[in-house]
Parts: sequence; C-alpha cells; structure tokens
Amino acid sequence: MSRHKIVKNLDLDDELDDFDGGEDYGYDEEEGEEKMRQGTIKVREALPPTAAHVTDKQVQEALWHYYYDVEKSVKYLVAASVPTTPKVLKKGAAGKKPEGGFISFGVCWSFGQSACNKASTLAGALYPDTCLKPFSFAEFFKDTPWLQVPTDRQTVFIDPIYPRLGLLGGSSDGVPKMSKLQALAAARKKKAQEQRANSNPTGEMSRAGLDKIDHSDLGDAGVGGMAPSGSALLQKPSARGFPLRKRKGLDEHESLPKAPVAIDDAGLNPPASPEDIPSAGQAEPSDFANTMFGSHSQTPRQSPDNLFTMPFAADIASIAANPFAGPSPDDIVIAAQSKAGKGGKGAPKSNGEKKAAQIAAGVEAMRIDDTPRAKSKHLDVLAEFGKAEAKNAANFVVIGHVDAGKSTLMGRLLYDLNVVDKRTIDRYRKEAEKMGKSSFALAWVLDQGSEERARGVTIDIATNTFETDKTSFTILDAPGHRDFIPNMIAGASQADFAVLVIDANTGSFESGLKGQTKEHALLVRSMGVQRIIIVVNKLDTVGWAEDRFTEISTQVSAFLIAAGFLSKNITFIPCSGLHGDNITRRSTEPAASWYQGPTLVEELDNSEPAGRALSKPLRLTIGDIFRGGVQNPLSISSRIESGSLQVGDALLVQPSSQKCFVKALEIDNEPVDWAVAGQNVTLHLSGIEEQYLKIGDVLCTPSNPIQNVKQFTAKVLAFEFLTPSQIDIHRGRLHTPGRIVEIVAVLDKHTGAVVGKKKPRVVKPGLIARIVVELEAPVPLEAPGRVVLRGNGETVAAGLLE
Amino acid sequence: MSDRRRINGPSGGTSAPIYSKYLAKDAKKSPERPTRTREPNVLRKMFLKTGVTPSASGSAYLELEASKNPNSTAPGLASLSTSGLKLTCTVHGPRPLPKSAPFSPHIILTTHVKYAPFATRKRRGYLRDSTERDLGVHLETALRGVIIGDRWPKSGVEVIITILEGEEDQWWGDDIGGAVTSAAEWGMMSVLSGCITVASAAIADAGIDCVDVVAGGVAAAVKGTGTGGDTSAPMVVLDPVPSEHKDIIAACIVGYLPGRDEITDLWVKGEIGKDNLTRNSVPGSSYEELADNAVQAALGAHRVLIAALKETTEVKMGRL
Repeated sequence: MSRHKIVKNLDLDDELDDFDGGEDYGYDEEEGEEKMRQGTIKVREALPPTAAHVTDKQVQEALWHYYYDVEKSVKYLVAASVPTTPKVLKKGAAGKKPEGGFISFGVCWSFGQSACNKASTLAGALYPDTCLKPFSFAEFFKDTPWLQVPTDRQTVFIDPIYPRLGLLGGSSDGVPKMSKLQALAAARKKKAQEQRANSNPTGEMSRAGLDKIDHSDLGDAGVGGMAPSGSALLQKPSARGFPLRKRKGLDEHESLPKAPVAIDDAGLNPPASPEDIPSAGQAEPSDFANTMFGSHSQTPRQSPDNLFTMPFAADIASIAANPFAGPSPDDIVIAAQSKAGKGGKGAPKSNGEKKAAQIAAGVEAMRIDDTPRAKSKHLDVLAEFGKAEAKNAANFVVIGHVDAGKSTLMGRLLYDLNVVDKRTIDRYRKEAEKMGKSSFALAWVLDQGSEERARGVTIDIATNTFETDKTSFTILDAPGHRDFIPNMIAGASQADFAVLVIDANTGSFESGLKGQTKEHALLVRSMGVQRIIIVVNKLDTVGWAEDRFTEISTQVSAFLIAAGFLSKNITFIPCSGLHGDNITRRSTEPAASWYQGPTLVEELDNSEPAGRALSKPLRLTIGDIFRGGVQNPLSISSRIESGSLQVGDALLVQPSSQKCFVKALEIDNEPVDWAVAGQNVTLHLSGIEEQYLKIGDVLCTPSNPIQNVKQFTAKVLAFEFLTPSQIDIHRGRLHTPGRIVEIVAVLDKHTGAVVGKKKPRVVKPGLIARIVVELEAPVPLEAPGRVVLRGNGETVAAGLLE
Repeated sequence: MSDRRRINGPSGGTSAPIYSKYLAKDAKKSPERPTRTREPNVLRKMFLKTGVTPSASGSAYLELEASKNPNSTAPGLASLSTSGLKLTCTVHGPRPLPKSAPFSPHIILTTHVKYAPFATRKRRGYLRDSTERDLGVHLETALRGVIIGDRWPKSGVEVIITILEGEEDQWWGDDIGGAVTSAAEWGMMSVLSGCITVASAAIADAGIDCVDVVAGGVAAAVKGTGTGGDTSAPMVVLDPVPSEHKDIIAACIVGYLPGRDEITDLWVKGEIGKDNLTRNSVPGSSYEELADNAVQAALGAHRVLIAALKETTEVKMGRL
C-alpha cells in the first residue's frame, strides 16, 4: 500500500483516542476539589484499620485515578499499603501525569536557562567590554606579522548550544521518549551486549579476542626485547601475526618455530606504547635521500619575531577610517580628464558604451544598400540627345610601329592645346633627364605607369581628351610593341578613326612597314575603322626632305589600299612630334615650306563623325572596373558601343547573367542623366557584387540581351596560314582561348561566293574564309561583331561574326 | 634487440681495478666478506617516503641501508663498499587510455621496472633486459589484486620503478676470486620485495583505491653464517643480503596483504634438498616455512609502510 493511501485511510478520531493529553483534565477545578474532599472522607471511613497509615495525599491520588470511585480506591489502597508502603508512594508519584508534564517542561526550561547563562558568562569573559565601543580591526591586527597570526589572537570557536536529543515535552523521568522502533533497536542492542559479555570468557574464536592477542603479540615481538632465538620461540607456538589465515595443517604448523619480526635496534628499547611501534623500523634517510627531500621538512619555519611587520601597519592611526568613502584616485583622474578634454560633454563613455556605439556603427555600415536604386527619370534619351546639340565626339586610336613617336606626338598635341600645362611638362622633362631619356618627356603625358616610363614604351591603352572648336576628341594611345597587341586591339575596337604614325627615319620606316605598321593597319581595318590619317613623324631628323615624305606616302598608300582602305580616306601629314611642327601650328622650318596642307588638328577636325548606332539595343563592353569612391563601391568605365542608357536602368551582365542597376552616370567626370552610343561613360552600379564583373564582360538590356555563345561561325581575312588549331579570340577588351574546329570554305573577296573545294585544310594569307570557332568558355558575342584571331603572338586573322 | 641509439660502453662494464697485491699481500688486510650482524629475524632498517616526484600522480622513494662491516680493516676503497637498495617509484594515473586502445571495463595496470645503468656493480644496459621485464611482471602480479580496478573503467595507470642502487647478487670478492658460487640472481628477490613496497606507497600517494596496502618480504634459507651458530646447518633468515652469505640455498619473496591475510605474489627460487633442511623444520614443509618467514618480513615492511603513509597523510592534511 502506498504511503499516501495510508494517510488517506487514517482515522483521525481513532488515532486521537490514544492521546491522553490535556483535554481530559480540563474539568472544573472547584467541582473537582469538592468531589475530592468528599471522596477522601468516604474512603477514610471505608478503609480498614490495617491501612490507617495511608496519608490523605495517597487517598486523593487513588481517588483521582479511579475517578472518585470510592470502592475501587479503597481496594487499591488496602492492597497497596499492606505489603510495602514505599511502593505505593512511588507509584503514586509516577502516576501523576499532568504534574509530570509540567515538571518535564520545567526541566527543559531550566536547562535552557542555565545554558543561556553559561553562554552569556562565556561571552562576558571573552569580550569583557568590547561591546561598549566599536571594535577596531586595525588596532587588533596592529603589529601582527604577515601570515603569522599568533595563537592568542586567533579566534576561539565555541560550540553552539544544541537542544537535548529527543522530543520536547517528553516523559517525567527526563529520558527522552523513544519511538517504538527505537525502543526495539535499543532492546536488541542491549541483549546482544549481554550475550557477548556472557560468552566472552569462553568464546576464544571471537574476532575481538584474537585481535587483542594479535596486538599484544606484535608488540612483544617488535619491541619486547626478548632474545628471539629459535629455541625460545618454540615455547610460544601460538604467537602468530596473521590470525585469519586458513591453512591446511593447522596443528602441524602450530608447532613450527616462528621467527617473529624484529627490527634492528628496536630490541634494545624498553617496551613502548603501541603508537611507537610503526616508527621502529624506519631508518634515517641517507645522504642521498637527504639531497632529494631536503632538510627543510625537518626544520619547520618558525620564529615569527624575525618576520617583518607590515610597514604601514605601524602608522595605522593616520589611515582614514573608511578608505572607500571618497572618490578613488582613478576616479579623480578620470573626472579631471573628462572635464578638461571633453569640455562638459558629460561623463566619458564607459567601455561598454563604447562597444555598443561601435556595434551600432558597424550595423549602420553593414546596412543593405537600398538607397542607390536611383529612380529612372524615364527620359526619351534619343530625343534628349537630339535636343542637346552637343559637339561632335570622336575617338581615334593612335597606332604605329614601336618607337614611331606615337606617345610623344600625342603629348605634344595635348601640350600645344593647353590640355597639359607647362609646369607639368617641365616636371616631366626634369624627371626624364634624370633617367637619361629627355626625349621621352612628352610621351609621359600619356604614359603614366612607372613601368611604361622606365622602359620607354607604352604598355596599355592610354586615354585622354581634348576639344577643338568643333569636336571633342578622345585619344586612345595604343602600344606599338608587338607584345601588347591585345591592348591595341582593345583600343582600336573603340575607335572611330585611326592615326597611323610612321617613323621617317631611314631604316625605321622600312622595319616598321614589315612590323607593327602593317599589322596595326590591318587590324584597325578589320576592326571596322574606315578613315586613317598617316602622320609621317620625325621628318626633322631627315631635314624635312620632301623626297622621303613622298617615298613613304607612295609605299604606305599602296599597302593601305591593298588592305582595303579607300584612297579618299587616307591623308598624309609630315610632322615632328618632338618639336611640334604641323601639329597645331604650321611648321616654321624653311625646309618644310614645301608642305601647304592642313595640320594634324585641322585634319582631325575634318573627320566626319561616325554614325552612332543609337537605336540598337544597348551593348557596353567593360573597359575598367574600379572603386569610384565611398558612395560608389563599384564602378566601371567603358565606351557605349550601341544603344543608350540612363540612370536607374536595369542592366544584365554577360556572361555571368547577373542583373544590376545604374546608380549614376558620369561623362568626363560630370554627372549626367543619360548617355548614348559612342560616349565614354563611367557607370556606378548597384545590386551586384564585384565577383560577377570582369573586364571584357558585356552589359546589355535585359529585354534584349546578348547571348553567350560557345561556338560561332565567322568570315575572316587570313593574315597567316590558317589551319584548325588553338587560337585566341579578341573582341575589344574581351579575349578568350578557343579553337578553329572547321574551315567551312574559302570565299571570294568581293562577291563572297564560295571558291574552290569545300572544307579546305588550310587558308592562305590574304584569302577570306568562313570558319567555325569553338570557345573554351561561353562568352557574349553577336552577329555583326568584329573579332581578331591570334595565335602564337601573331594576328592570324580578323573578321566578322555571322 | 640491441641499443642502436646510443654509443654504449663495453657491455660488461667495469669497476676500478683492484690489484692483487692488495688482496694477497696481507691476509689480515685482505677484504673480507661482510657478515650479517643482524639476528636472523631482524630486518634492515628502511627509509620510505612518498612524494619524491611532484609531477607524478604519486611517487615514493625507498631505501635500505647498506650493510656495514664495522670491524673491517680492508682498504676503504669506494669500489669495495657494498651497496644497499635505493628505489624510486612514480605512478602516473589513473588517466584516460588513448583513443586507439580497446574498451576496458577496469583500470589497466602497466608496470615498468628498470635498473639504472649504474645501479649494480655490473653495469646495466639502457634497454630493459629479461631480468627487468621479469621483475615488472612479478610486480604487476603483486599489485593487480590490490587495486580496485572496477572504479576506473577506460583508464590506465603506470607504475614506473627505477632502481638507483640495486642489491648485488653476490659478494664482489667472489667475482674476483673466481670462486664458483651459485649464479642465481639472489639480489633480484630483495629488489622485488622493495619494488612491491615502494609501489604500494606510491599508489597510495596517488590516491588510487586499494583493498589494502601490499608489502613485500623476503626470506632465504642460507648455509652457515657467522654469528655463533654452527656453520653447516642451513637456517632461515629474513631480509637476506646476498653479499653477506656465501651460500644461499633458496629464497622466497611474497607480496602480502596483512589486513586480509592474503598473498598476491609468491616467488621461490632455489632448491631445498633433503640435506639442506633447517634445524628446526619439519621434513617436507621447508618451502612453507620459507613462505611463512617471508610473510613475517612483509609484516615488518608493512609497518614501515603504514608509518610512511601516516606521515604523508599528516602532511597533506596539515597543508589543507
């Protein structure tokens, strides 16, 4: 049965019936007294003479027990008084329950009282008068050595006063009332003790007895000082150190001689107390052991007199009673600092506040870029462009053999047009002289890179702008060195027309014609450039010889016409880049007087603006990716090839197919709302991460995107022998490795009809062929695009996508 | 297995030479075998202390004094002195077994006994030889039954004993004289008994639960020694020092638990023939007699052990 059921079934009335406490005795006192008096008289009358010596008290007691039943009381008194009177007395005393209860309580109380008295006297003795004035710890510990509190100053612990065991209000005889179980246990214990006491003399096998013997034996053997010879030991065969061991032939072994253990010199000592026995066999440590354990354990630390007292404790009186009442030294300093530095800005920020501020700032910085999605003004860009009546814009690329003087020429052009001020040129001149290349000073206007300057060659496309009265020009200064042809292609792809610079020096022209003069001319032609201006440079070095100029003109024009340029689009100008003749001003040299044609700038102005593909879908090849400032973490610059865009437009980046938004637009560092094809713009983008943008990627409108292609067919003009092989495909800034997988056919130059057999194995230089090219990775390319195929560092072909 | 890591000296090892003129010239001055000055039932004094190695979980150091020959007139050369026994023991653990080890429901005890190369007159190698491995196995046997291994599943304890100074197997003079003696390694017995005692102390110092502290004791039956008794009759001595006895017939070592009256390890060496019975023995019971005496010796060691542990406890409690 579970316990809660027991409780549930408990009959309270039943249980309380057993209780014989106070309630039964709550009778009326006066009534009781009267009854008792009458009862006493009646009993006295009824008592036989033998019981006459019974006292009134006894009578009353008996009456009380028997509830004033006279007969029973008399019977009891007679029976009790006859054999032994004292017994009656005793029983009477014990039987008086209410009194007993009171007495026991009294005992309790008196014990408590005495205990309290004792405690108070103890306390009084310990703290005679310290309670009267406040206790001073400083005084108490004055001149106490550090960590060595003398024993008389150590505290004294007093056992707390616990109440006696047992229940309160126990029975009269002072012994606490025991529960039935306790009583039972006690009885058993007593019984067991008695039994043991009885059996002890006879029970030899009991453990306790043997233990005793054992101990005494060991004591004898170890310390007893008996001469332990074999014969002597024979006399005490029972002396065994291991009483519990079971052995087979006990009797036999009992007779064996024992050689009880004795330890060396212990035998000489008189018998000692059992505590000394264990130490008997211990040796002093040897010298070796002493080195290990040291001697410090033998000489305990002592003599507190030698120890220092705490230095400041001597001057204890001067120490303020409450050292923490005022501000701490740190507080004072901090308060002063905050007053001085912050000028009443309030309390300095605590560490926690600072941290919180930092986190808040971090969160603010981290906030998702939601503002920049600039609202589109929904302009009609083409209409705006028509209204704008802007100057003509033209890009031209400067090409030519290495060291033909392209950069110097452009530097001179910019210098003469006051785009670059004199101070800058003077500085460049000084620096160039320092490097021993004074003639390169003008070239440094465009060659900004340290490596370009150090090597004296242009490496990457350099752009600069200048304006004439009619047109604003963008110069694309292409590198002439053959190693940087890809950069030149990138530049040429953005150009409306080209300026071919030719070195008039003897030998240089000839080498140039074989080298990059020819390659560049072919490239720009295949990139779609129609118009070309040939600058015959460095004519000052040949004394402005007209013969030389004519010779060069004849040769070059023949070549260019062969390359596909129309003769009306070819212009020759004799110049000196270093001196500036015939660039912005007419040459003052008398030897150059034979030339009466236009200067370079005049000729540039004459060039008609190229048609803009405004109405076509937007195409924009990324020329550069940079961080355009704090506001614009991601910016690109490029020339718009076709179409138009405005702020707020959504654009698609190919080949990563990520969407982005135009946050802002800049043309020539001026913020604008829109831009059209042919303009060089800076786009600040949002909604895209830098990893999705690469130089050479194409931005287009999501509605009419450029497709990523893995394979394309192209009509190309072969410059070298063309066979199915690995090649690099260049399209503006974009270049990617690929492979000619198939030569479909060789075509007629003018009609475009298929010539010869199908699928030729090789295409000879100068022929036009239709080829299939496979790319390693899909890139954005589309039909009227112009590509250049290069292999092994040479341009092998150029052509149009189909 | 040869020691390839060190450039060892000659394997035999040598002491400083003693020239024959010393030995032969004067009969009086010739070095004499040390004699047992103790009574047969008296043990050598023992120094035992725990806590030698602070970095170990538990450690102990045991030392038995060298037997002195007070009336020796032999030249006091260091190489002639007889050594006592010096052991140091470290206990590492209980600590978790490596992950690679298989599951073990109880503690895994590893014992490792090694003589220092300089521990005995005959130099020892750096790698453990068969004697040392033998001692290790015996020590493990003696200790395994004492540790309550079930309380540490998946853990191991290592008992490592280094013998700094070992008991000689025989008197050095016998080596020189070329006298043929019993070649048994009697010194091992005393060493093992010391190992058991010192390991017990170290295990107690490490706080590893044991049923009792085990103590080692040796008794030997020797033939004819010095003091007074007739030289022919063999007798039983406790805690024998091999260099003191020309002829040791048999020796016994026990690992004894006094509290439970149990023997955890018993090893007897030698043979007691019919004619080698001791004076007061009952025929056929000589080995038992030997074991009984070894137990007595173990009881003596136990007393020292208890005293040392008491001291340790006092120091520890005092510190706390």
